[in-house]
Amino acid sequence: MSVRDDTVVTYRDHTVAAALRALPDAGPQPDLWPDLARALGERRAAMRWRYALPVALAAAVALALLLPHLAKREPAEPTAPIATHTATTPPSPLVANTGSDELSKLHLRSQTLERWIAAVSAHAPQNSRDLMAAVEFEDLIGLVDLQLGATRSNADALPLWRQRVALLEDLATIRGSAFAIAANDAGATRTAPTSPTQFN
Amino acid sequence: MQQPATKAQASASEYSVSAISFQIDIPDTLIARARRGDVGAIEQIYRAFERPAYTLALRMLGNADSARETVHDAMLRLLERIGQFRGEAPFWGWLRQIVVNEALMRLRRERAVVFEELPDDDATPGGGPSPWAFADTAQLERALARLPALTRSVLWLYHVEEYTHQEIARMTGNSVSFSKSQVARGIGHLRAMLEPHTPQRQQEVAPCLSATTP
Repeated sequence: MSVRDDTVVTYRDHTVAAALRALPDAGPQPDLWPDLARALGERRAAMRWRYALPVALAAAVALALLLPHLAKREPAEPTAPIATHTATTPPSPLVANTGSDELSKLHLRSQTLERWIAAVSAHAPQNSRDLMAAVEFEDLIGLVDLQLGATRSNADALPLWRQRVALLEDLATIRGSAFAIAANDAGATRTAPTSPTQFN
Repeated sequence: MQQPATKAQASASEYSVSAISFQIDIPDTLIARARRGDVGAIEQIYRAFERPAYTLALRMLGNADSARETVHDAMLRLLERIGQFRGEAPFWGWLRQIVVNEALMRLRRERAVVFEELPDDDATPGGGPSPWAFADTAQLERALARLPALTRSVLWLYHVEEYTHQEIARMTGNSVSFSKSQVARGIGHLRAMLEPHTPQRQQEVAPCLSATTP
């Protein structure tokens, strides 16, 4: 009834094994599943926090770092050459309702620059340094767009539109020379997509 | 009153091989669903293994509450790590190892139990007939319950779960000879505790043998 264990010098008595295996099995009483399901839910919620909290903190830190940069840029007047207004997209309701000339002009200029950048970006090769810088500006523009989405008044929106145009001009500068912006404006207008480029 | 069986409870029976065996094959699709966080799949896995997992923990720990907590912790650990399961070894083997580790950790926490030693006097396995073959379930249960927890655990892991002495030594953090001695002592004690009942059992099984006595 005994067999030799292959790994050590001992004998495995199958009569013991059979007797022990013949003992009745048992299940947890009361049912363990409700407790387990609850604990599982709590653990998942904790896991979500474990991931969500660092992301939220990182976002907050990024915002804290970016805001001073944006605030510094806000009063700056546009320096890049301004392309001819060829906006085909109607102004947003927010802008349309303001009656503010400056806001309308900023919106149209923003559209023009977006179209030009979209046209140039599709054809012009970029070196890695310019590409990285462009990506940074696109991120900043995305951030401004987020803030614009949360504005409730024209007074709040105006400085953000100024920022947006300034950032677009910087992006345009990276994408090409000031001369090229003006020179290519007409071509960009012809090849522009019907909707503005999204940067966020 | 009997609780109505849930869908997962009903499905669990499809995977069962034997009431006490851990060797239950789970479909890969069920594991994949559990990995994605499907609660229904998780419950099906739990239902498939709740009895073998609880029985193993109960035999090792000898206490229903501790066994329940061990299964609870082992299942949570399993579900935490299910994403790491690569399918190189059977799923049941992986889960069984988690249950064993949880039970051993619990035993280690109760150090007084771990270091409880059996006297050497009757530790050696005797010859003759195997008394456990004649003992009824209640007698064997009682004798098993009287063994020190670690001895009982090693005995169960070796004889029922068929771990090798090397594996048991590794899991318990002891030597191979420790595992062997625990098995030998456990068997010796079981024999000693069950042997007094053997003549009675023999009489019950074969009364004709006693009838020959003048």
